[in-house]
Amino acid sequence: MKSRIGTDLMATAKMFVRNKGAMFWTLAFPIFLIVIFGAIFSSTGTGSYTLNVQNLDHGPLSQSFMDSLNQTGVVKIVMVDPSADPDTYIKDNSVTNFMIIPGNFTQNIALNSTATIELRQDRTQSAANIMASVVGQVVNHYNLNLSGGKEHIAIHSGSIVTNNLTFLDFFLPGVIGLTAMTNCVFYMQGVQSRYFATGIFRKLSTTPFTRFEWLISRALWQTVVVFMSVAAILIVGMLFFNVHITLTWMSIVLIIVGGLMFTGLGMILSRFAKDEETANAAASAVTFPMMFLGGSFFDLSASPEWLQMVASIMPLTYMNNGLRDTMIYGNDAAALFNLGILAVVAVVFVVIGVYVSKWTDD
Amino acid sequence: MSETVIEVKNLIKNYGDFRAVDGISFEVRKGEVFSILGPNGAGKTTTVEIMECLRKPSSGEVKVLGFDIAHQQNDIRKRVGILPQDFNTYDLLTVKENIDYFGVMFDRSIPTQELLDAVNLNDKKDEYFKNLSGGLKQRVGVAIAMVNDPDIIFLDEPTTGLDPKARREVWEVVKDLKRKGKTVILTTHYMEEAEVLSDRLAIMNGGRFIAYDTPRAIIKEHGYGTLCIIRSANDKAMQLLTATGLSVKRKDGDVEVHMDDKSSLHKVVEVLQDPDAYYDEITVKRSSLEDVFLKLTGKRIEDDTGAKA
Repeated sequence: MKSRIGTDLMATAKMFVRNKGAMFWTLAFPIFLIVIFGAIFSSTGTGSYTLNVQNLDHGPLSQSFMDSLNQTGVVKIVMVDPSADPDTYIKDNSVTNFMIIPGNFTQNIALNSTATIELRQDRTQSAANIMASVVGQVVNHYNLNLSGGKEHIAIHSGSIVTNNLTFLDFFLPGVIGLTAMTNCVFYMQGVQSRYFATGIFRKLSTTPFTRFEWLISRALWQTVVVFMSVAAILIVGMLFFNVHITLTWMSIVLIIVGGLMFTGLGMILSRFAKDEETANAAASAVTFPMMFLGGSFFDLSASPEWLQMVASIMPLTYMNNGLRDTMIYGNDAAALFNLGILAVVAVVFVVIGVYVSKWTDD
Repeated sequence: MSETVIEVKNLIKNYGDFRAVDGISFEVRKGEVFSILGPNGAGKTTTVEIMECLRKPSSGEVKVLGFDIAHQQNDIRKRVGILPQDFNTYDLLTVKENIDYFGVMFDRSIPTQELLDAVNLNDKKDEYFKNLSGGLKQRVGVAIAMVNDPDIIFLDEPTTGLDPKARREVWEVVKDLKRKGKTVILTTHYMEEAEVLSDRLAIMNGGRFIAYDTPRAIIKEHGYGTLCIIRSANDKAMQLLTATGLSVKRKDGDVEVHMDDKSSLHKVVEVLQDPDAYYDEITVKRSSLEDVFLKLTGKRIEDDTGAKA
């Protein structure tokens, strides 16, 4: 005897394949994100951020300092003629980051006194912070080495950047989280309000097929769809933007649990909205803030504390953090913490979703 | 008398302050087509949806095939077939795939091919449901309602919104179900449909049954019998007809003569032989369910899906 869940799943797959529009947008949305951000951030060549350097020093240490900056993979160095006037150069070339290495750089370090480099930045540009921190890290690395500091600190701070990861690598787990959220929430609220309005639920409720079986079938289907999106994201990222990260076991578990959680959220949302349009608006109202504050697009660690508080109550934050922990940093212990939070929220959402969802109005 | 398959006693259903079903009692016998006829909002759908276990009654007792709807819903679901009002199924599955799908949802199912033949949909089996006309969609619905080989089939307004041809196609399917020995519960607001298809029917209005019997018995009890209408009759004709001793009534330019028995018509025709009696035509009209409804409620059932009577 064929299983009801299996049959429902197969029917859903058939309908998905036949609905070309739905299939296209399900895959196109994450690909658009990847292509747009990939195009923006890969156009700057090997280093993501340009640093204009006017080196007035002729000694070996300034050269080695610049090599270290180069090795971070984040900085693209453009040399400026030592005879150029910095103010005129900055003005004429619309420069964001301008570094001047003084003529006594090598000499001062050799004499064990302080060598001061000058970093002029356009603080209105978001890249300015990143450049300041990269330069700061390299300087710290130098200082520690010169003062005989312990090596492992320098190695640790260097490990993030020496993996040769691009911005897109950091961005990609966020896109996966975002895609799981929008897919599951919008699909569930859409399908539930549509089946309710068109009477398919009424017909289903005349059969022995239960709501719970139907919801299991939905959750399984959403997992399939999310992994299709993830595959699209990874394939496009690897083929066109030289993305380095791949799925880990932990990330697969995170995606499944996160998908379940958002499926539950979609179930709850559609139950409390009377019709499809309201349900859609409710889904947008819930997902939109998460899209921006859940850490998919920006790293919120440098944002105001209250904003971080807001982010900490958004489930997407934990999915994104968990995915970054395992996919980028290889830190499965930290990912497990995020997975735990996701799992608890998922159970709560799904239980409420199953409890509140209805097939007939009585 | 044949076996009773549905038993309803003092059924009441309230929606907040509104009483949709107001204490009705009836029974349905095995193998009959039982119709509930009434205007929109009369409580027909609420009544059948309670029997279908889709709604819970506020009070009263309902037994379907001997099972109590309050506690034995699963036993009932397995043995009844339901075509819900405004039936809809998966747009992007074909007719055959839809029937197959619902076949799996029940533990027992009859072969899809047999069902396609039963509703005459064999040549449409590979069409997507969304591309079918209204009448064909209803036939798919009937096929799906039959998928678990049910003992009772509920058809909730199966012809509402269909054109006359499609409506008659659905009638044929209903007659076929009866021939197969199925018990059919039909709701409709089409008088003619109820009269043609039902073995017994209930006329429902304002949550109550205002008549409940065979169509013939209802018409006999509540109808005006048979009328002979003489159109555009002159005064001489009226005078002659009155002289027959039959019950005669002037209505606008016409004269209506109540037919007491078979000889009445003969008398009418005879007196109208008079050369001074003028009239346009003579018609004989038997009272219909429509007339019964009009008489019992003082209003007409609107032949319009959107209208509330």
